[in-house]
Amino acid sequence: MSAEKLGFDSPPESWPVAQQNPGFAGDTGEFAQLTDDEVRGLSYVGLRPEDGGHAAVAGTMPYQVPPKKPEGPLFEGPYADRLEKILSRYPDRQAALLPALHLAQELRGHLSPETMDEVAEALQLPPAYVRGVATFYTMYNLGPVGKYLIQVCTNISCNLCGADRVMEALLDATGTEAGERSADGLYTVIEAECLGACGFPTAVQVNDRYYENVRPEDVPNLLELLR
Amino acid sequence: MADQNPQTETVTCTVDGIEITVPKGTRIIDAAARVGAEIPHYCYHPGLSSPAQCRLCLVEVEKAPKLVPSCSATVADGNVIHTQSEKALQAREGVLEFYLVNHPLDCPVCDQAGECKLQDYVSAEGPAMGRTREPKRVLGRDDFGGDVLFYADRCVMCTRCVRFMREVAQDERLTVVQRGSRNVIDTFFDEGLDGNVWADNVVDLCPVGALVSKDFLHKARAWDLDRHPSICPNCTQGCNVRLETRDNQVMRMKPRHNEDVNSHWMCDYGRLNYSWINRGNRIEAPLVREGDRLSPVTWSGALTRLVDLVRGAQGGARAVVSPFMSNEDVGALRRVLDVAGFGGGVFRVEQGEEIVLPGFPTLALRNDRAANVHGAELLGFTRAGAADATGGLEEAAAHTGVLFVLGDELKDAPADFGRNAALFVYVGHFLTSQAARNAHVVLPATTFAEMEGSFTNVQRRVQRFWPAVLAPGMARPAWQILGVLHAGLTGGEVPATPADAFAALGTVRPEFAGLDWAELGSQGRPLPEPRALAEAGD
Amino acid sequence: MAYPYTHPSEVRVLSKYFGDPEARTLKGWEARGGYQALRKALGMERADIVAEMKASGLRGRGGAGFPTGLKWGFMPKKEPGKPHYLVCNADESEPGTFKDRELMRWTPHALIEGCVIGAYAIHAEHAYIYVRGEFFEASQIMARAIEEAYAAGYLGKNILGTGIDIDVTLHIGAGAYICGEETGLLNSLEGRRGEPRMKPPYPAIAGAFGKPTAVNNVESLIAAAHIVLNGADWYRQWGTEKSVGTKLFCVSGHVKRPGNYEVPLGFNFKEFIYDVCGGTPSGRPVKAVIPGGSSVPILTADELDIGMDYEAMAAAGTMLGCGSVIVMDDTTNIVKQVRRMVDFYAHESCGQCTPCREGTAWAAKILRRIENGRGTEEDLDTLMDISDKMSGKTICVLSDAAAAPITSSIQKFRDDYLALIRRNPMAAAAGFAVAGD
Repeated sequence: MSAEKLGFDSPPESWPVAQQNPGFAGDTGEFAQLTDDEVRGLSYVGLRPEDGGHAAVAGTMPYQVPPKKPEGPLFEGPYADRLEKILSRYPDRQAALLPALHLAQELRGHLSPETMDEVAEALQLPPAYVRGVATFYTMYNLGPVGKYLIQVCTNISCNLCGADRVMEALLDATGTEAGERSADGLYTVIEAECLGACGFPTAVQVNDRYYENVRPEDVPNLLELLR
Repeated sequence: MADQNPQTETVTCTVDGIEITVPKGTRIIDAAARVGAEIPHYCYHPGLSSPAQCRLCLVEVEKAPKLVPSCSATVADGNVIHTQSEKALQAREGVLEFYLVNHPLDCPVCDQAGECKLQDYVSAEGPAMGRTREPKRVLGRDDFGGDVLFYADRCVMCTRCVRFMREVAQDERLTVVQRGSRNVIDTFFDEGLDGNVWADNVVDLCPVGALVSKDFLHKARAWDLDRHPSICPNCTQGCNVRLETRDNQVMRMKPRHNEDVNSHWMCDYGRLNYSWINRGNRIEAPLVREGDRLSPVTWSGALTRLVDLVRGAQGGARAVVSPFMSNEDVGALRRVLDVAGFGGGVFRVEQGEEIVLPGFPTLALRNDRAANVHGAELLGFTRAGAADATGGLEEAAAHTGVLFVLGDELKDAPADFGRNAALFVYVGHFLTSQAARNAHVVLPATTFAEMEGSFTNVQRRVQRFWPAVLAPGMARPAWQILGVLHAGLTGGEVPATPADAFAALGTVRPEFAGLDWAELGSQGRPLPEPRALAEAGD
Repeated sequence: MAYPYTHPSEVRVLSKYFGDPEARTLKGWEARGGYQALRKALGMERADIVAEMKASGLRGRGGAGFPTGLKWGFMPKKEPGKPHYLVCNADESEPGTFKDRELMRWTPHALIEGCVIGAYAIHAEHAYIYVRGEFFEASQIMARAIEEAYAAGYLGKNILGTGIDIDVTLHIGAGAYICGEETGLLNSLEGRRGEPRMKPPYPAIAGAFGKPTAVNNVESLIAAAHIVLNGADWYRQWGTEKSVGTKLFCVSGHVKRPGNYEVPLGFNFKEFIYDVCGGTPSGRPVKAVIPGGSSVPILTADELDIGMDYEAMAAAGTMLGCGSVIVMDDTTNIVKQVRRMVDFYAHESCGQCTPCREGTAWAAKILRRIENGRGTEEDLDTLMDISDKMSGKTICVLSDAAAAPITSSIQKFRDDYLALIRRNPMAAAAGFAVAGD
């Protein structure tokens, strides 16, 4: 006997209504004049260079993630520069592990055993240690994922406002099981923990971008935007 | 010996109502052990770091707001500590119940049963019934390579194994993978523990049956085993060990703690090379040559005959000894050889790569792969032959006087070895080689596992061992055989005990006289330096 | 103003430029009075800045509420060759919290100022900003802002000619709630698994890379900058005696106007929910409210007439935490929400300590069973006992946080649990009346 049959589970009437939702940048409420770009700061950030820019911020990912290179060495060219810059910001090589793993994932799409081994070698760390760290964190993909990694926040604030239904709608629309890659290799849909956009339920993260105030009926629209 | 600084700062505390004074910096768990309060713990181990993460060692300290993990908290002056208070017991019962939530409780098929810390603690302080009704997580068995097998379901996540590989072996092969209740110990995919000669120590460290030895898998029950203190015979490090036996067979070797030699550790090479101790086909009676046959005789018959033969032989004495024989055995032989005119003696020993344990560099798997190389050298024998323990027998083979072979199996000796000798005496364990069968007198000796004696290790430390198995047939310790022979030759005293045999070593090598057999105890003592002896006017 | 809805009751100190895209650029920030706090601070004695913080009564805005001045005061005397570090905790992962994201994406330079001031005050020459990995957009805005600040000479060597060197490094996380815990963050910064450390030793003695470190929340550092500029007394005009100043409250769940609001501490909670946030969208009655993020005990609708400050919340049996208000109306299935929260804690537990590792997972399984109609009343006792055995016995307080929704919901919403339990076919067979029939 499911809870829903008992007659209560946060129906749509209980959810806040988004006033405006320009391109899924989230409800702009009393700031209706803001554009999607202004809310998300796209033009302010601009095009981030592949070599990471200033050393202080070289460990963060550029906004426009380059096409992934599944083959080929990890740390060469602009990426070698980036790794050098990252290493210069910490007193020891081990501290660069998280940014280096992000870099590796950016290029390869996920962290295979070979990739972990290469990162271990570059940072002079034991491979088993790198495996222990890489598997601790949720964001490191340990297997290949679809072109669009769709993470739906189903934690309490979004859960109260229909996150489960958004999740179901996405699974239906993409034709996948949770955590699996779709047959065409385009989508992987997973549940995520709180994404930090609780005032704009339901929050959905696709690759590096947040889509906010997503309702179940918005799902086809969202997938259109991706394609 | 390090000076004891009489000014070491101490603190006084009360544990379970008993007042005790300990050096400053003592952990509560160690202070409690001193008054006999054994606090259950998993992640704490004196040879490793102390992360206080198992939360099992919680005790109540008055005036502290929360329960205190006794493995990391140090004693402060005036602490009043209760290890068995209501709150502490409830907390520990709670933690034990949490351990049981996913534990498979497969004691009937688990090797650790009988020496398992989960069994011990749960029966002492755990809940009577577990309340979990949820399906348990199943992770299965993983082969970590080498001698180590991992049953992930039984793991209590104490991370002792991970920390050992990281801190002591300094070869981080094990790691915790994933997060939270999905935590599991694993290696870097297929890399495993292969190639690391210290890997089996994680089996010792594991408090439950998660990490087990393949060699010992389903071989014997812990409560059937008798445990005897001994010294590992397999290299010159002389790790202190326990020989664990059942039905007069050695089932396994485990390290014993000795902070001056091997701490809590030993290497896999030593640990797993015990099956030679269990070899059958031993010589079971003294044998004397009559024509081309070796006939069994009594001990008194053999030895009285031998006394005459030694007296009557000319040409001096040479010997081949095995570095697996004890100080007392080799020393007694040397005294006999001296009576007949010592012309020199050799030993052969297998050699291999030295592998130091980085986190405890006093300990290494040494080049010389036998325990008493240094004892033999001190007592006047020289190294001969190749690194595979063959060869070096030319002088002995050519000798025409008295030839003694003590313990060396003579596997590679030519078939006519010993035929030149006027008197060839073979004191040993096996008659497998033709060379050994050339002897005029064959005397069955005990191995180190069947007698009391001592070895001298690479640090010139003399360490005692005790018998673990019964000697086969009429075999006797070589020091006793040769001691009687020596008494027969010289009219001196017969050594009645190993202590007597050890005391006799002082006549061969003065340093041994500077040690007292009883004082050697179970941890051994270093030989005094010759210079020190001279200065002491010995 | 707070974003995306405003209210006249708000006091706009930190959130003044939310919704103002120009404010995130360096030029825009300077035009709005930015970087004056930084200039003033670098002209003050370091010890005076710490004294000002203490006098202001500012408490850490990340959830623990530890006085910031006291934390900075714990830093040891600076020894040559032993660097100090300031670490900004921007790993905002507490369910219901989204204020640091807004602060970073609308006013990134405010955070840079706060970091410089904080680093200067504690003799640190390097500040790390640890941003959670999911915040791609916010971290890129911060990255651009940091580059602008370096170019303009507000960061790096010899800042504005004062001879003071302060570097900032933006470090991203990789998805772990436990890295929001102070020592878990430090371990993650050092490239390890983000497992919390035992305290003592405290980060002020041995923190990042074993050196003295102060870890502060984004909001705390930005507030610190305002305090340095305007003085401790100015800050004391808002809030209560012990809970000084304004705070950003994140409102989510069943409310008409979710978002961030900045009100003085001590503001009436009932007025906040019904007036400022507009009450529930459906008009249905409020059933439960979580005042400070999922880690604090739940309040019923009758318990809302209290001040939003640390003391009043504690007196009401809950905590202010990070000020993330989650409102639930009477259509909510409390058991499902508690289950989801405990699932979160089970997923995010680092796994070091046995009570947390096993207890959260076990509790989650029991709650799932109850939610699916196969629970018993004994399960409620077991859950209470698990919560008790998890609390106060671990290295960090994640297990205490997991216990909070369990114990408070069983105590205050027991009927919801019983309704589901009585749906259990085995319970029906034992003679319980089935609800709704």
